[in-house]
Order: sequence, then structure tokens, then C-alpha cells
Amino acid sequence: MTTRTTFQRRTVLAAAAASAALPLAAWAQQPPIRIGSTLALTGPLSATAQVHKLVGEIYVEDLNKRGGLLGRKVEWILKDDQSKADLARTLYEQLITSDKVDLLMGPYATGGILSAMGVAQRYNKVLVHHTLGVPSLAKYDMQFPAWSLGSDPGVTTTNTVFEALAKGPKPPKTVAVVTSKFPSIHFMSMGARETLKKRGLQEVLFLEWEFGNRDFGPIASRVKDAKPDFVWVGAIGLDGNLLLDAMKKIDYAPPQHFYLYPAPGPLVTLPEASGALSVTIFEEHPPFTSRPKAAEFIKTYHERAAKANFPDTSVEVQAAASFTAWQILEGAVNATKSLDDKVLADWLKKNRVETIQGSLRFDGPSNYGDDLMRIKQVQNGKWVVVYPPEFAAPGAKMTAR
Amino acid sequence: MSSRRVPAGLLVAGLLMGALPFLKLPAFYESFLYLALFWIVLATSWNILSGYAGYFSFGHGAFFGAGVYTSATLAAKFNWPFLWTLPVAALVAAAIGVGVGAVVFRVRGVRGEVFALLTLAVTFVLATIIGNTPIDGGPGVYLNAVPVPRLGPSPTSSLYLMMLAAAMLTLLVSWAIRHSRFGAGLFAIHDDEDAAEVMGVPTYRWKLAALAVSCALAGLAGGIHALFISYVTTAETFNLTVPLTVVLMSILGGTRHWAGPAIGTVAITCLLFAFTGGEYAVLGKGAIGLILVIGILFMPEGVMGFRAFARTPRGVMGSPPPRPSPSRGRVPADPPPPPGEGRGGGTSEVLLDVRGLSKSFRGLKALSNVSLQVRKGEILGLLGPNGSGKSTFINVVSGHYLPNGGEVWLDGRNIAGLPAHEIARAGIARTYQIPRPFAQMTVLDNVAIAAMYAGRGLPSLEAGRREAMQWLEFTHLAGKAHSLPGELNLHQRKFLELARALASRPKLVLLDEVLCGLTPTEIQFAVEQIRRIRDQGTTIVFVEHVMDAVMALTDRLVVFDQGVMLAEGAPREVMQSPAVMSAYLGMAHA
Amino acid sequence: MSFPSWTLLSQSVLSGVFAGALYGLLGLGLGLSWGLLRTINLAHFAFAFLSAYICYQLAAVSHVDPLLTLAGIVPLMFALGAGLHWLTDRFRLTPFSSLLLTFGCMGIVESLMQTLWTADPRKLESHYAEMKFRLGPLYLPIPEVLTLLLAVAITVAVWAVLRFTDLGKALRASAEDAPVAAAFGINQRRNGFLLAGTCSAIAGIAGVCIALSSSISPSQMYAWVGVVFAAVMLGGLGSALGPLLAGIVIGVSEAVTMAVTSPSWAPLVSFTLLILILLLRPGRIR
Repeated sequence: MTTRTTFQRRTVLAAAAASAALPLAAWAQQPPIRIGSTLALTGPLSATAQVHKLVGEIYVEDLNKRGGLLGRKVEWILKDDQSKADLARTLYEQLITSDKVDLLMGPYATGGILSAMGVAQRYNKVLVHHTLGVPSLAKYDMQFPAWSLGSDPGVTTTNTVFEALAKGPKPPKTVAVVTSKFPSIHFMSMGARETLKKRGLQEVLFLEWEFGNRDFGPIASRVKDAKPDFVWVGAIGLDGNLLLDAMKKIDYAPPQHFYLYPAPGPLVTLPEASGALSVTIFEEHPPFTSRPKAAEFIKTYHERAAKANFPDTSVEVQAAASFTAWQILEGAVNATKSLDDKVLADWLKKNRVETIQGSLRFDGPSNYGDDLMRIKQVQNGKWVVVYPPEFAAPGAKMTAR
Repeated sequence: MSSRRVPAGLLVAGLLMGALPFLKLPAFYESFLYLALFWIVLATSWNILSGYAGYFSFGHGAFFGAGVYTSATLAAKFNWPFLWTLPVAALVAAAIGVGVGAVVFRVRGVRGEVFALLTLAVTFVLATIIGNTPIDGGPGVYLNAVPVPRLGPSPTSSLYLMMLAAAMLTLLVSWAIRHSRFGAGLFAIHDDEDAAEVMGVPTYRWKLAALAVSCALAGLAGGIHALFISYVTTAETFNLTVPLTVVLMSILGGTRHWAGPAIGTVAITCLLFAFTGGEYAVLGKGAIGLILVIGILFMPEGVMGFRAFARTPRGVMGSPPPRPSPSRGRVPADPPPPPGEGRGGGTSEVLLDVRGLSKSFRGLKALSNVSLQVRKGEILGLLGPNGSGKSTFINVVSGHYLPNGGEVWLDGRNIAGLPAHEIARAGIARTYQIPRPFAQMTVLDNVAIAAMYAGRGLPSLEAGRREAMQWLEFTHLAGKAHSLPGELNLHQRKFLELARALASRPKLVLLDEVLCGLTPTEIQFAVEQIRRIRDQGTTIVFVEHVMDAVMALTDRLVVFDQGVMLAEGAPREVMQSPAVMSAYLGMAHA
Repeated sequence: MSFPSWTLLSQSVLSGVFAGALYGLLGLGLGLSWGLLRTINLAHFAFAFLSAYICYQLAAVSHVDPLLTLAGIVPLMFALGAGLHWLTDRFRLTPFSSLLLTFGCMGIVESLMQTLWTADPRKLESHYAEMKFRLGPLYLPIPEVLTLLLAVAITVAVWAVLRFTDLGKALRASAEDAPVAAAFGINQRRNGFLLAGTCSAIAGIAGVCIALSSSISPSQMYAWVGVVFAAVMLGGLGSALGPLLAGIVIGVSEAVTMAVTSPSWAPLVSFTLLILILLLRPGRIR
């Protein structure tokens, strides 16, 4: 009796093993799908690019655990463009013509993305990118953005900001607009000036500074002198921190303040940043966290970021945009069951992709869809969305000094 | 005799590389080579001013950026066909450079780090102006709508071919300058600008020319690059990394060689590219730093300056020694006569007429209303205690200093106040009391400079070297022609000074204590040579303390004391005059 | 555009003075190294930022008072500086080769800093950051005042040493004519090490000042190179007082521009001023 049971058991086991090995064998026989991109792993842009690297790694690992793309393993070929746009261009050409990758993913930041876009255009490859700040420059037909600004954020996003303020506890009457001249910031700040005029607010100060400015003392003094109800700071990276530091040094705290693209971690930990507003497409609270895949992504990201010694381990707009970009790519490939760039592009233009940002469409001007920017605020050392109400953290409302 | 092989070789290399796009290799090779060629143009063009002439510029980014924005604006905003924007880009960059240089080079004391700072400042100024005016104004200039000229099978190929052409042009220009009279002048400026000016090199014009060439090439590279990156912002373009990288590449490769910067470029570009793999990017950066450190420790002069190259008989200028002149073998060789002069002793015709010459240094009157005449073909001795103004007199007459008053008439022309190089061209040469040879040029080239620039001046480097060789034979330095001045002893350096002074066949030679420090045998030889120089028709003014030589050689004597001419006349009379004796020895010995 | 109030102007001038003090402190070691040791030491910036990171680490993580960290940082930087000098001396590097060498060192240190502390900006939140003086309507924040005091004190001390002590005279003599100075019995090797170490130690102090007053990230050090070189070259190589004065001139001219008109014009004003100073009196600040 035992022999037959053992025999049966062994057969069953063997059969089970064989059938489990089949996909594995198929997996092992098929070449992996190679996705190529560059990131600014060294150089001035590396602080944010390291977030994108981590997100990409997390995504690709998870993707492979789920069976990869079209039944094949996915391999991410990542190169370092050293924060240089001309190197990014050359590396993308290498990826396409020499490494012969199947699909592309975009690099970090506007300069690199535009360089890569030129290359993608020449070889008719789809380019999904996560951090392009100037939609009007996205003139390539087969590029798809994950940074959901909409096609005219100078109008729409700034409108959202001022709307939120108008519906908040202390609607401002006077506004100071101070901004960096960095391209993706500057045009937004100019849009803000238009919007505030249209809404009947008064601009009491307008200042621009060079990208890389070190001394914010005089600027802070001028803001203090102007006594605005609300300060719009066209900040990128550390500008916001430096300005807040400078304002604190002269005992000035603006009643309400807004920072466009701050380096998120450093700003939120600054005590004087309490109440600062910004824009985001994702934060770590409901309703965002209830979207599919959001919760587990947040958990994994926390663990890995802590291990990598990042000072800030929360998932915010940069990480979310990156994750979304990968979701877009995966979504298109799975829906069309194809790696053909033209097929993918056509599908994307006509369909929606469900992502942790929400449901994205790409049929607007320059393939941009809706403006999904929400308003968030630093409250108790954390970013929480406060407007529009349906996206606000449970019970959260905008506060003002 | 510069080799014709190099330009031919470059053209062949250029043609071969130009065939690359048609070989159907992955386009990435063209992109990568484009980057290398781009840096070759920038580094080599930088080197023309900064390596050759020694005017270290920290502002190459400004001229590069000027080219970038010129092309970007013309192509994207005014819809010019792209190729036409390139010469304009080069011109604009050169114009800005020359504009800056014209002002900056006029100011005395702008050397070394001051010039570096000025050029750095120009970068920031230009960046701010462009960033705050409609040229850019902030959002950057986007060139994606600009059609790439169809030079090759693909846009990348076309850009590659354009940059290849620019690189070949730059290398050829660099090589040509290096082996030309112009280049020799630049190297002289590098080593000792004041001495070069006195030797006849028109330093102001030469520096402007080098600057113009350097900027034009940088502007050209900038123009092409605008289309390559297709999105141009002031922050990226005027970033300090451009001038810094250019400097580093040139230093690594060697700044005195025409191909040095190119070699440094290739090394650093390959190094940077080798570490673009994503896995170890951060560590890779550290590895690059380490490799640079080790590299420079073993090759402090750069790759091309590395021992093996520097020690060949070709010397620094890198060409084979000129063929010996026919007079070799006759010992001692007779000095060739100056043009139009024959043998003759002193005549009564006046060559140099000094009237009321004065020079003060912040209140100290070094020369007070000095008037004297130098007759053609004579040896005039200039004597006086220390501090009496003899050297100042020579410095003023030769143009090393500007006089505060008075006139100096040579050949019917008042040369007082003219730039020193024009005085040299008028036919006045001088030696320095403490020899001032060009330290990094060979002995032969030191003399060749004078031959090419002073007097009537010879038009080419080869001709200058041939002439120089004759004078080296005259002063018995022919065996040291390819050594550096640092390898000569004092006697030989003094004779190098002499050879330099004579090489231009001047009408008047001012010898400033050429005998001091020599042994009696050497003095005897020198006196012989000086006599023979005069016998050939050259007029000599001879400052000296060695009384035997003075009495033996001079036809007339002039004595200075405290900037004033004390006595003048035949040697014996002058030495016996009471005023002179008391000036030298004190009152009691009259 | 209304003319700014006196308070605004004065506060801006103060702001410029503080900024300039830091440029001067950073530039002091660089200038001395360049002028007296013929070494163009780019690693100076790397040492400063490394010190900033060490101060941050000790203060933010191990809760040591930031000023106390100087006790460890100064000797460490001295040793590093002396070590670097040993390299340049032993291999007889020219000023330009030393530029290349120290640039390589910058890359190594940047890589090290990015590996240890990631590329994210770090800010040291110390109690010093909260403290400030008031002078009428004007604010003087303590970290900046500290930087200014240190800059002035160190500058004056260095100037006095160079001017009045034998060591100072020996250094200046060696810089002018090394073989002759050696013939007079000056121990150039020892002096060289002393000076190089001191320059790097000053860089270390500057680094602590940077940590106290602003956020730091590895690639940020390149942003200082341009303006500090400008201060050094304007102030004069080998000069003690020069970099500080020049730094303050640059800082104040930029700050005043930012107070009076659009801040984006600031570099134009400061660098045009620089050009004019250089052209009209090239040897003035020496």
C-alpha cells in the first residue's frame, strides 16, 4: 500500500514540479524585456533622482514577481547621465541603437527629458516620463507624461491654488510673487501673476532670482516690507528652505505661503515651514492610499528608503510620479500585448490608465490630460492634502496664521 | 622645418572619421564621438590663448555660450537656416572676446590671475544679461523645430559631421599656429611678455589675435552644440563646469603641445563615459577622481609633456633642427653685415639723437634732461656709479619704460613714447644686464624671435631659425642650440643675450653690462666679438664697469651721475675730468 | 519702483556682509595656498564641505555641540591639508597640475560624502540657529555673526603672522624666491606643511560655519567655486586681508542690488563692479 501511495505521491509531486517548472522554463528560455533609461545618479540633480532610482527598482522587482511583462522577465538598464543633458542624449542613443532596448523610460527633470525626447523622436520610440515641468515644450507625438499638470498648468494649477485660498480660513487680498528663473518654475509664476489679477487680488511685490542664488536675505527683507497676506514662492529644490531661513532670521513669518516644487523632505522638517502650501498628485493618506497598489508601494518604499539611508522616507509627489510612469508603461503593454511603440502610443492616446494618481488620460494637447494637482499643506511636520475637499486627508482643513 | 605630415595626417584622419556615418554602425558611436570632438574643439581653442600665450582664461564658457545663444536665437527665433548661423556664432563670440581684450589688454598689470578673474566675471555678466533680456529671459530656447541640415544619413550623423569639421579645423589651426612665427611670438609672450615686447613682438595685437581665434572656435562649437542639446538654458550653458573641464583637459594633455588638449580630452571623455553604468555611479565618480590624481602625479607636465617627449632633440617647438648654414666650419665665423652697411669705423653722422630725456619713478628722478648723440658706427661707452641712470637710459631708449619728457630721434623719427616693439622694428636692440631669456623655449628659438620680429623681421619660423643659427655660431653657442636656457652657464647666457640682440641686424645695440660676471678669458673673447660687431657697421652703446674693456673699446665716453650727464668726450679726457673723479671717488681725489 | 527703506537697505547690507564673510573665510586658505605655496587647491572646498558633514553628523546624530566639533575637525583638516601638501611637494607639481590633482580629490571626497550621507540636502538644526541679536530694527542672527567674527579674527591673525613674525616673513620670502630663501636657512619644507595644514584647518572652520547657517549637499560645493575664486583673485593671491575685503565687496554689491531692483540682476552688478575695480586699479587690494 505504502509503495503505491508513495508512487502516487511522487508522481503527483513530480507532475507538480514539472508544471511549475514549465513557466519557469519558458521564462528562462525567452529573452528578458529590456527597458532603458538614464537618471542623474551623480551631480546636482542626484538628490531627487535617487528617489526615482529606488521607485524604479521597487517597481521592476514587483513586476517580475507578478510574472513580468507578457510572460517575460523585465530588466531595467539604468545609466548615469551625471545631471548633464548632452550626456543623457548620448546615453539614450546608446540604449536604443547599441544596447537595443525594447522600451524606454524617461530621465529626471526637464532638461534631460527634452534631450531624451529628441532621441525618442528620431527613432520613433514611446517615451513615458515622470518629471517634465513645461508641457508646452512637449512637442513629440509619442511622449506621455506622468506629472499630471494638464496642458496649461500656468492657468489651471495656479487657479487651483488661489481657489483653495479663497475658500480657506483667511482669503488673502494682497499677494507677493517671488520666483526663481528656472524654466519650469518661471512660467508657472508668471501664470500665478495673471491668475491673481483675474481674481481681483493685488500684487504688492514681484521678484525674480537667478537659479543658484545663495543669499536670500534681501529678498526676505523685501517680502517682509511688502506685508503681503500671501506669498507665492516659485521655489525649486532648496530655495524654499533658504528663503524661510532668511525670513526667520529677521523674525518674519508670512501669514500664508506657497512653494511650487520644494525638495519635500527638507521643507517639511523645518519648524518655520508650518502651514506652507504646495502642489501634489499623491500623498500618504486616504483617499490616495486606497487606490490599488498604493498601500503596498508605500510600505515597500518606507522599508527600502530607510535601508538606503534617505532622510525622508515618505512617498510624495516625486515617488508617486515615478511609480505612475511605470504603471503607464505596464498598462499599455499589457492592454495591447505588444512591444511595438506605435501600437502602444495609439492605445495610450485613446485609453485611460488606472494609476495611484488616479485615472489618467492622454488625449489633450501635447498628450496631456487632466490637471491633477492638489493643494497640500505642512501640518504637524507632515504633508496633508487640504484642497479640493474630496481629496483632502480625513478631517484636514487648510490653516492660516 | 615643420613637417607637412601632420596636416596631411589630420586631413586623412578627418576623412576616415567622416566616413563613419555611412558604415551603418549604431548611431550612439556618432553621439559619443560628437561629445569627444566637442570637447576637443573647446579645449584646443582655449589652449591657443591660455596654453600658448599663458593668459589663463577662466571664461571660455562665456564665448562658448555666446555662440550657443547666437545660433539658438537666429535659428529658433528668426528661422535662419542652421548652417548660416554658425559663422555668425563664431563672429559674435570673437567680437565679444576682442571687445573685452581690447580694453583689458591695455591695462598694465593685467596678467595671471587678474586676467583669469576678468574672464570669469565676463561669464557671469554675459549670463545675467542673456537671462534677463528677451534673448532668453528665463524659459530657455527650444530648438526642436529647427531642421537639422542634411549632411549625413541621420540628424545625429549630420551633427557629428559638423563637429568633426570644427574639430579638424581647430586642430589644424592649433598646429599651424604652433609652428608659425605667430605661435613663436605667443610662446615668447608666455615666458616673458615685457622682454618679448622689447624684442619686437607686437604683444597687444598678438594677444588680441590669439583671443579672437580662440573665441571664434569656441563660438563655433557652441553654435553646433545648441542644436545637439536642442534645449538651451543659461544655467546649463554658462555653468562653471565648462571652463573648468576645458582647463583640466588641457592640463592633463599638456598645454605646450598642439595636440595636448585633444589628448587630455579623449582621456577624460573616455573616463567619464566608462563610469556611466548605473550600478556604481557614485563610487565611479570617486574612481575617476582617483585616476586623475594618480595620472597627474606621474605626469605633472601632462601627457604630452611627459619625459619621453620633452627630451627629444626636437625641443619644445617640436621640429627637426635646421640645416647648418654654409659658413659653418670657418672658425671663427664672421658676423654677416647689416644690410646696406659696410665696414667702417666711427663717422660723424648722427644715428641717435637724444634731447632732454627725463624719467621719474614716483618722484625719484632717474633721468634728468639728458641730451646726447650717438654717431653711426661708433662704440659709445656709458659710465657712472650705481644708480646713476645708465640702465634706465637703456630701458627708456629701448621702450621698456616710457619717458616723462624729451625726444629720441632715430633716422629722422621721434621714437620716444612708441611701444617697445616698434622701437625694436626701427632697429634698436638691447641686452639685459641680468639675462632674461625665454625660459621654456630653446636657445635657438630665443634668438629666432629676435630675428623674426625686430629690425625688418623675417616672415617665417624657418627663416628665423636659419638666421638665428648663424648668430649662435658667431657667439659660439651653436652646440647648445637645442638646449633650454636653464642649462647654460652665466657666460653662455650673456652670449645668448648678445646673439638675441644681434639677430635682428639692428642699427643700434645697447649692451647693458654684458661683461659683468665673466672671467678674464671670457672678457677677452667678448671684447673681440664686440669689436667685430662694430667693424661690420653696427653702432654700439656700451654700459660697463670693467674699465680695461671700456678704455680699450670705446670711441667716446659719456658719464652719468644721479640721472644727469656729467661729462662727454674722448675716454682719457673724460676719465681725468675732476667732476667724474669726484663722482666716483669723492672730492679729495680730484 | 519706490526707493527701499533704510531698514531694508541696512538689513540687506548686513546680509551681504555676512555672505561676504563666508566667501572670505573660504577664500583665505585658497588664496594663501595659491600665493605662497603655488598650489591651486580646489580640494579646499571639499575639505570645507567634509567638515560641514562631520559637524552635522556629530551634532545632529550624536548631539555634540556644533562648536565643540571644531576640536576634532581642525586637527583632522590640518592633517589632511598637510598630507595633500606632501603629495604636491613630493611630485613637484606646478600650480596648474595641482589644480588637476585637487579637482580629482574633490571628486573622491564628493563620492565619499554622497555614499555616506546620500545626495539629499541635510540641515543642522541647532540651538544656535534660533538665536539672534537685535540692533534697533536690524536683525543679526548668531550663526552669521559667528561666521563674521571668526572670519575677521582669523584674517587678522593670519595677517599679523605674515606681517610681523619670522614665520610670516619666511613664508613670504619663500614665495618670492624659493632658492634664495632656502640659502638663508629657511626651512621651507616645515613651513610648507605648517601653512598647508593651517589653510585646510581654516577650511574646516569655514565648513562648520556653513553647517551652522545653511543646508548642505555633496554637489553644492561646486556652486561656491566661482564666487570664492572671484574673491580670492580680486583680493590678491597670498594676501590675508584681501579675500575677506573682496568677499564683502562682492556680497554687499549683490545684496544691495537685490534690495533695490530685481535680484536676478545681482551677478551683473557685482561682477561688473569687479571688472571695474580690476581695470581701474589692478593692484589695489594687495
